[in-house]
Amino acid sequence: MSNADFATAGRARWWGILAAACIIAVLPLIFRDSYWRTNLIVCALNVMLAIGLDFVVGYAGQLNLGQSAFYGIGAYVSTLLIMRLGPPFWPAFACGVAASAVSGMALSLFAVRLRGHYLAIASLGFAVITYQVLLNWISLTQGPLGIYGIAPPPPLALPGLPAIDFTDLANLFYLVAGFALLAYMLLDQLVRSPVGETLTAIREDEVSAASLGMNCRAWKVFAFAVGSAVAGGAGCFYAGFVGTLVPDAFFITESFTILAMVIVGGMGTLSGPVFGAILLTVLPEFLRGIGDLRLIVYGLALTLVVLFMPGGIAQALRVARSRLAGSSPRQTAGAEP
Amino acid sequence: MLTVALQQGINGLVLGSLYVLVALGLTLIYGVLVQINFAHADIVTLGAFSSYFFTHALGGGYLPSIAVALLVGAALGFLINAAVFAPLRERGNELLPLIATIGVSVMMENVMLAWFGPIPYAFDSPYSDQVIRFGGIFFTAQSVLIIVVSTAAIGLLYAFMKFTFLGKALRAVAQDRETAGLMGINPNRLIMLTFVIASALAGMGGAMLGPVLVLTPFAGASVIVKAFAIVIIGGFGNVEGTIIAGLIVGLIESYTTQLLGPGLIDIVVFALLLLMLAVRPTGLIAERREENV
Repeated sequence: MSNADFATAGRARWWGILAAACIIAVLPLIFRDSYWRTNLIVCALNVMLAIGLDFVVGYAGQLNLGQSAFYGIGAYVSTLLIMRLGPPFWPAFACGVAASAVSGMALSLFAVRLRGHYLAIASLGFAVITYQVLLNWISLTQGPLGIYGIAPPPPLALPGLPAIDFTDLANLFYLVAGFALLAYMLLDQLVRSPVGETLTAIREDEVSAASLGMNCRAWKVFAFAVGSAVAGGAGCFYAGFVGTLVPDAFFITESFTILAMVIVGGMGTLSGPVFGAILLTVLPEFLRGIGDLRLIVYGLALTLVVLFMPGGIAQALRVARSRLAGSSPRQTAGAEP
Repeated sequence: MLTVALQQGINGLVLGSLYVLVALGLTLIYGVLVQINFAHADIVTLGAFSSYFFTHALGGGYLPSIAVALLVGAALGFLINAAVFAPLRERGNELLPLIATIGVSVMMENVMLAWFGPIPYAFDSPYSDQVIRFGGIFFTAQSVLIIVVSTAAIGLLYAFMKFTFLGKALRAVAQDRETAGLMGINPNRLIMLTFVIASALAGMGGAMLGPVLVLTPFAGASVIVKAFAIVIIGGFGNVEGTIIAGLIVGLIESYTTQLLGPGLIDIVVFALLLLMLAVRPTGLIAERREENV
């Protein structure tokens, strides 16, 4: 690509983010009932989880089945801090994110030595252990009874403006979606920087990457820390949004649904998982009339996409665009894990 | 005290031999294909359910129901290989089949949930009530049956792998698929055979786990996470290692239940798994395979 191309692509990117911000601003005005506003917030949470996981799976090439654990660690750490020690929401939020990042780094110490299937099983084991600890450490987490009456984030008082009350679902959506957009922009900057190139190089061929002087271990630890920190942030918001925490919300199935969002969207692209998360959150809501088919849809989508369209929605969009433009599909990095 | 320890030891070995049946399937597939079938869990569950319905709804005997579960498992293995693994083989990607079978597993669990409901089924084996007393130690006819059937199955498998032409061909494919192909062995057919054998073992294991487990659509999932731990502790792709590790995990489970409480089983098993991965990632008995570690 020439410099001009880069400039165009950069401008297109900023327009895309601006468009996303506008859509976020408008959505709660279109959907006024609390049912759909709740769904909007769930969408925003799932977007955070999916792009965080995509950074680890799609870019760094580490099949992480433990995203549910990092989600849960963020939720439980921030909530328990607030309930036991009583700090304000935002410092507790920072601690929740940090705790998730640190546990991601702890798991990645295994990832450093393991690859492929072994890492998948180690991360699955990590998710199982975390779930069982949440379930059995009753004096701390109240086990299967759960924690009730968690307050939403406190009102935000900006100078000169009326306080923003997060018990209002629309405001809470703005907060969570704002953070999702922020996380997207951060990750987007990361993957387009030399960091992203390093990670994809390690994904494609670790030995060659190491021979070029890349510190593969450090970069994998970094990818895990970033991916799980984003999930931890989503967890903190989840607690304040739902108001109750039970270990079942962070069962390993949750990891699989997040993985389905990433795969259906198209791993190795950041915009893909955003669409994947939204599609797989909203689509099952329409099927509620036929019974609770939500997870059947997830499983079916996951299998069919891997079999027939491994690049996911992102690939489909690319193919459609190039068909419309009448040219052959452009080679873009990162459709394969 | 000694009798309690012995009693728990026997319980652990009985449970462990069932885990071995399930984990052996995973290890066989991994040995030949270097792939993981995540839906293996649901073959166990469906094996348990087909045995349940054969005995409780159709009025069949428990022993024939184990054979029914074996056939159901074999058929499922054949289908999953044909639908997922065979088409993805040309793509040559290490992780895509695992991801696809996670999807298959989620789908099967929830289809079973829609059909069978979330309420656990009371699966009574006629052999569970017959108690054999041996000094201060009790064991049921069911546990004797489990030990006999699983030992026979494992023995047959071992003899098949060691002495028959097909078994030798299978090991040849596991060692070097291309060279085996050049020797006139059809690798695709043997991979199919591996899936059928592995899944038949899982279905059979399910039929015998049914009375032990809480029989819900998610029964297999609780077994399979332990089976993953077993195959890694034993050394992925290694049959002897898997057998030893399976029995160890069974023993850990029964002693943990006795000493620490049943809630801690998974934590202990997976702590052992993570420890193993950190200290000796090749497993108890290492296969000469370097690419994953």
